[in-house]
Amino acid sequence: MSLVAKLYNNVLRRSSTYALAIVTGAFFFERGFDMATEHLYSEINKGKLWKDIKHNYAPAE
Amino acid sequence: MLSFVARSANVSSATVAATQTVANGTKALCPAVSIQIERTLVPPAPQKLTTNSLTASLPKTPIRAAASLGGAIQVRFAHTDIQVPDFSAYRRSSVKDSTADTRSSAASRQGFSYLIVGSGAVGGAYAAKSLVGEFVSSMSASADVLALAKIEVKLNDIPEGKNVTFKWRGKPLFIRHRTAAEIDAESNVDLSSLRDPQLDSDRAQRPEWLVLLGVCTHLGCVPIANSGDFGGYYCPCHGSHYDASGRIRKGPAPLNLEIPIHTFVDENTLVVG
Amino acid sequence: MAGVAGKFVKSGLLRVQSNGIIQQSHLSTLRELSVGKKAGLVVVGSLIGGAAGLAYTLDQSVKASGLDLHAPHFPWSHNGMFSSLDHASIRRGYEVYKQVCSACHSMKYLAYRNLIDVSHTEEEAKEEAASIQVTDGPNEEGLMFQRPGKLSDRFPSPYPNEEAARNANNGALPPDLTYITAARHGGEDYLFSLLTGYTDPPGGITLRDGLYYNPYFPGGAIGMAQALYNELIEYSDGTPATASQMAKDVATFLKWAAEPEHDDRKKMALKALMLFSFLISVSYYWKRHKWSVLKTRKIVYKPKSE
Repeated sequence: MSLVAKLYNNVLRRSSTYALAIVTGAFFFERGFDMATEHLYSEINKGKLWKDIKHNYAPAE
Repeated sequence: MLSFVARSANVSSATVAATQTVANGTKALCPAVSIQIERTLVPPAPQKLTTNSLTASLPKTPIRAAASLGGAIQVRFAHTDIQVPDFSAYRRSSVKDSTADTRSSAASRQGFSYLIVGSGAVGGAYAAKSLVGEFVSSMSASADVLALAKIEVKLNDIPEGKNVTFKWRGKPLFIRHRTAAEIDAESNVDLSSLRDPQLDSDRAQRPEWLVLLGVCTHLGCVPIANSGDFGGYYCPCHGSHYDASGRIRKGPAPLNLEIPIHTFVDENTLVVG
Repeated sequence: MAGVAGKFVKSGLLRVQSNGIIQQSHLSTLRELSVGKKAGLVVVGSLIGGAAGLAYTLDQSVKASGLDLHAPHFPWSHNGMFSSLDHASIRRGYEVYKQVCSACHSMKYLAYRNLIDVSHTEEEAKEEAASIQVTDGPNEEGLMFQRPGKLSDRFPSPYPNEEAARNANNGALPPDLTYITAARHGGEDYLFSLLTGYTDPPGGITLRDGLYYNPYFPGGAIGMAQALYNELIEYSDGTPATASQMAKDVATFLKWAAEPEHDDRKKMALKALMLFSFLISVSYYWKRHKWSVLKTRKIVYKPKSE
């Protein structure tokens, strides 16, 4: 039985577990997506952001 | 009687046919049973299979069906001479073979679709939450109001024994640098003699500093510092006397002076708010 | 005219008739017109359209804006769709504003707390704020008093009111700079060009006393003298303070002041575009899935052959 089929039979088949999976998925997705975009954004703007120059003005923190 | 027997033969052939046919509203009426009624005239077969010629063979009037023992009961459109078209271009690869059992792969096929839709729902929930969050947070206090909500006080500007008034959120804020004698006197007050019993140690985080909201709990006047019978505050409006811990001792006020939330950031910095 | 506008050209609706036959029902009201009338309508229509186009072109051609020099587009580091502002530049721009521009220009909508975590730490912002004197009060005696600035205080204005500002500047009013990049055509491009674009007036143009020539300023005659010269100030981070460097930094600072949400906005765009492109592909899959039964129907038709 493939992974998707297992997932289907255990989670996606019942509306209750399906909705629960979506809510928990959204919780983790929110954190992951925010972190990923934050990382991507600071990668795009490396050296320009405040956190990149902060250490020049607020050492020892 | 004889005619009934003759007709029942007609009916039986019709009922058999009814189990095998599929109704189709776009074809002309043609009788299943050969009896004498007026026939619908079917135009001759078109020579060319154009849209126009095919449209011409459609019925021009509403199709009527009559049912009676002696009349036509159903219309027969089932074809055995038309091949079922090939749908394999539209099928998933696991169900390409139309003769094989598809139940074994049903879970993975449905699972895939539910998974796609479910992940879309996750993204949608995230987007909806962000949107609602934006709108709800627009109801919170704006940054310039929040910036004024806290007041920072340099404590070493306040000499001992003096009460200093600041303006904070539109109200007077008393900060009192108490003397050792005052601290001593207030911490030894008998609690049973108080109207609103509170320990002095509960009211002052650091015994030498007392932070009070300068609003009389009676009717909201501003008390006068270092006056009254108990050496603390005296409200000129109706004569409430507070002690050097801001507790009500005499007069109409029901409660002690309010203590705002405050923290001592370091030795001589106090943040109220 | 209304009759022409009310005509339906070749439009039709699918009309379901009582017997279930679907056919197109034609709603065009132009069909009854004769060929001549149709041709007439076409001619009238193109004449009106052409006249409107001509009027617009003529109107544009007589505008006096042709003499202004438009600022070129500069390759700002925040030009990109997801590019943030250069915060080191904002900090230098604040130094330029504080030491040069603030002598005449106010920024009264910007508070010292806005600098925190943008160009200054909280301690530095407090120090900056404490370096000004703010009139507060009334105190217990009902008198106004001076106190050092706090984070919640806004940038001080050089003049108490507009009249004082005009009086001190030959009648010209130095505009408030808080939202200046949003308030001028070309934004930060214009500011950079203006600050670095001072020249001698070309032949034939004589300026009144107290006016200076700047081709980027509408009209050319500007009341503000050239403010930025090489080595005018010294940057705290050691960047060589050339005039163009200062102009670039102060333009970036003013861009941030006008759009403090700039960085968050672009981060939000990054998130929204990523998320919605994912959601669009999911909805496309979903739509195809739901419609697959309808869309893949085949009608096999065998014409009657008798």
